[in-house]
Amino acid sequence: MAEELKEEELLEEDTQKGKFMTFQTGKEYFGISISYVNEIIAMQPITAIPEVDDYIKGLINLRGKIIPVIDVRVRFKMEPKEYTDRTCIIVIDVKSTVIGLIVEKIAEVDTIMDDDVIPPPTLGHHEHNKYVYGLARTGDTMKLLIDPEKLIKQDDMNMLETMQDNEE
Amino acid sequence: MKILLAEDDFASRKFMDKMLSQYGECDVMVDGEEAVDAFMMALEDEEPYDLACLDVMMPVMDGYQVLKAIRDIEAQRGIPKNKRLKVIMTTALNEERNVKMAFELGCEAYAGKPIDVEKFEKVLEKLGLL
Amino acid sequence: MAEEFNTESMLSVFLYESDQLLEKLEGIILEKQDADCFDDSDINDIFRVMHTIKGSSGVMMYENITKASHKLEDIFYYLRESHPEDVPHMELVEKVLAVSDFITSELDKIKNGETPDGDESKLVEDLDEFLSRIKGEIKKQGIRLPKENKQVEPNQFYIMPVAEENSHFYRIVIHYKNDTQMSNIRAYSATYALKGVAEDLLYTPEDILSNEASADTILVEGFHMYLQTKASKEEVLKLIDSSEAESIDFDEITAAEYGQDLVHLGRPDVPIVINLDDNAQPAKETKAAPMPGDYVVKTKEAGKGKTLAKNQPKQQSIISVNVEKMDSLMDLIGELVIAEAVVLQNPDLKVPGLELTNFQKASAQLSKITTELQEVIMSMRMMPLSNTFQKMRRIVFDVSRKLGKDIELEVVGENTEVDKNIIEHISDPLMHLVRNSVDHGIEENAEQRTAAGKPAKGKITLEAKNEGGKVYISVRDDGKGLDKEKLYQKALDNGLIENKPISEFQDKEIYRFITLPGFSTKEVVTEYSGRGVGMDVVVKNIQDIGGRLDITSELGHGSEMTLVIPLTLAIINGIIVRVGDSPFVIETASIKQFVRLGEDALIQEPNGEEYVVLRGDCFPFIRLNEKYELPNSQTSIDDGIVVVLEHEGRQVCVLIDSLLQEQEIVVKPIPPYVKKVKGISGCTQLGDGSIALILDIGGLILDEERR
Repeated sequence: MAEELKEEELLEEDTQKGKFMTFQTGKEYFGISISYVNEIIAMQPITAIPEVDDYIKGLINLRGKIIPVIDVRVRFKMEPKEYTDRTCIIVIDVKSTVIGLIVEKIAEVDTIMDDDVIPPPTLGHHEHNKYVYGLARTGDTMKLLIDPEKLIKQDDMNMLETMQDNEE
Repeated sequence: MKILLAEDDFASRKFMDKMLSQYGECDVMVDGEEAVDAFMMALEDEEPYDLACLDVMMPVMDGYQVLKAIRDIEAQRGIPKNKRLKVIMTTALNEERNVKMAFELGCEAYAGKPIDVEKFEKVLEKLGLL
Repeated sequence: MAEEFNTESMLSVFLYESDQLLEKLEGIILEKQDADCFDDSDINDIFRVMHTIKGSSGVMMYENITKASHKLEDIFYYLRESHPEDVPHMELVEKVLAVSDFITSELDKIKNGETPDGDESKLVEDLDEFLSRIKGEIKKQGIRLPKENKQVEPNQFYIMPVAEENSHFYRIVIHYKNDTQMSNIRAYSATYALKGVAEDLLYTPEDILSNEASADTILVEGFHMYLQTKASKEEVLKLIDSSEAESIDFDEITAAEYGQDLVHLGRPDVPIVINLDDNAQPAKETKAAPMPGDYVVKTKEAGKGKTLAKNQPKQQSIISVNVEKMDSLMDLIGELVIAEAVVLQNPDLKVPGLELTNFQKASAQLSKITTELQEVIMSMRMMPLSNTFQKMRRIVFDVSRKLGKDIELEVVGENTEVDKNIIEHISDPLMHLVRNSVDHGIEENAEQRTAAGKPAKGKITLEAKNEGGKVYISVRDDGKGLDKEKLYQKALDNGLIENKPISEFQDKEIYRFITLPGFSTKEVVTEYSGRGVGMDVVVKNIQDIGGRLDITSELGHGSEMTLVIPLTLAIINGIIVRVGDSPFVIETASIKQFVRLGEDALIQEPNGEEYVVLRGDCFPFIRLNEKYELPNSQTSIDDGIVVVLEHEGRQVCVLIDSLLQEQEIVVKPIPPYVKKVKGISGCTQLGDGSIALILDIGGLILDEERR
């Protein structure tokens, strides 16, 4: 019986393996491994917090738990867009830090196997490159796969690096 | 020295038997009732044991019942306190209430498992058995 | 202590009881340190404490503790029996404390899992010497020596189990080759080989010896074993005969998984049986005292563990609760308070013409219950300050003796109760304040004091009281007092303050200089205070829990340091205000007043800083909407409301748009992902489910001053 249980667990892991929640921002599609995703909720009233990085939009109340939300567009240094009916919040849990990602539009859940992932070009100056660990084509669109740990990591390190760069 | 060991668990029994055999002749019982029988038999034969090591959790009678039976029999036969059987409880139950009850029932020592052999020997010394 | 309810291990009971006894002992000693001698009841108490410790340490076989406590017991035995006069009291106090320190340090070793190997011989020698002097004194005074205090050797012993390495749990599955003959016998050999190292061993199929058909099952399904042992994987594998095995699956699993597997095997786990380490038992239930016969084991069945024939009777009366559970209950009640507000202030109720009489009655009842519930959980978390104060007694005693000062400590209100979390935070700051008072507060020597017309003996008063939802803990000394001139000069020299004449500072402000980082009035750093980490750390620690430090002093007459701390951290009374679209919460206690002011009350400096003049006083003025860039807000002072806020004697005016309401606020932390914002201390959920930020007045003022 224990064996069966284990198989079930494996099965569950299997069903999550290679599954990506994809969303659209501007013209580009992004993917985030579904294992990080807790849930997707509609846009909510957000309480702004003063004096924080601009991509941190504020706090929302998720059934009594207060969690911060960040705007993915602003995070990628893209022009912010007005929120619409299609805007929603992907609640992710990265190493026990629960955070909401505001995205323009949810696309779908795609299966992307490891073999299909190609590393991103090392050249190029897109801001979002920092958070993208791979590219994958599904259907006729190219998906940029995001590393959520890097996405939610705050920019202290980067800032330090730039400061050092400037000094040189 | 004549030793009575009551222990139902095979592995523990093997260990205890080996340890106790260096101090004397060791009779091994596997449940509580056997232990009381062995104690009685030795009394009848006028070759009483010097030391009994009793496990607490055992079939038929537990270690506390054995201890109580031994002390009752001794009282009934008018055996003076300093002549009575030295009893060491050997068990994995280390809650204070267990220890306290064993003391109240009149054991000489209470050894938590796994047994600290060094201290065990010290106790045998203090009890005048070595 | 209700011993019959105790399910603690023998060792923890010993440690707990010894700690209690030593605490009691120190209490007596420190209370009577200044007396001329101990009275009969003290002597009796100390004798009994030592007697008990001697006995229990004897049973536990900690011989050095037994010897030390026996010696001290001896001394008090003679004092008790012969009542000699002229016992050198101070020396005796020191002896008792030396023994108490020795035992404490040994107990600490035991708590840390070390061997209590402290050498008691020097201490015992000292005590012996003291005892022989006492005996000599007794003879000299012509009192008959009592009978020897014969040490009765303990006749019962507890042998502690040796510290165990952690057990491993393995799941082992042996698949035999298809043509293996009598695989059941091979399986049995495997179990037999493992018995030597096994603490617990289960296997399936179970009937390998008695049922030959089990051989077929083993060939098809494999032979499953669940093993608890200290042996490593390699050692275990070596024991298993693998000659006919096709494969051996070997997994190390966690104790929890192991337990799970046992349940799957149809063996409801009896924790006492497999758990050799009773500390691992998660829930400590209260059981009635055990009885002989409770531990009779049903005859073992093959492959099954022991089951007790008689179920352990359970009896509910007193339970000890894990603090974490209390905290989560506290959180839940917080949620409940919020949910209550959501219901009672629901916008659906605001429909005009709605008949709400019954609803209001019911909601009043609900509010009453939630308030009561809050009070109950709060009271469960409340602890008296007496333990903390006890520590202070010892500090005063130690430090004053080392410094050669004669100081008496008066304690007032030690039964004042404070939330457990807060007690943990004030112990260190309080200790610092007390040390400061002994070291810097009280004069160097008695001559200075008598010259100033004061009693030779210094006095420090430690007082706690509970007033208006706050706890005041003050440390008061009748020493030198703070010299404003010196403080001013020092702060100026160290560049800690602006260069303006002393007359422009209020007294309170000058006293507060000592809390500035980098300020130490003492030129010579002493062992006990003035180590650079000083009052600034005290103030920071206190501010962290929402408290403050008040300082008053009179030169030549003494100083008083008062910690003002909240009773509890979790729920505050707050007023909800609105700035633009954003609600903010301001703690009611820090609001001095609300005023409407016109433009004429405003003074603007060329650098853009603004001030408000109110009844002749000038306050810094903060426009929250501008400071925090909040849209849709009043920009003119005429339309908004000015709130005068006070924190630690400093005042500031803040412009808001409107007042919403006052209510109890459940404080929640800002998620750590968001970095600390100056002037915001937390957040809360409002009745409509939206989130309001809680203003941190201290932080706001600090931020303003830095500009």
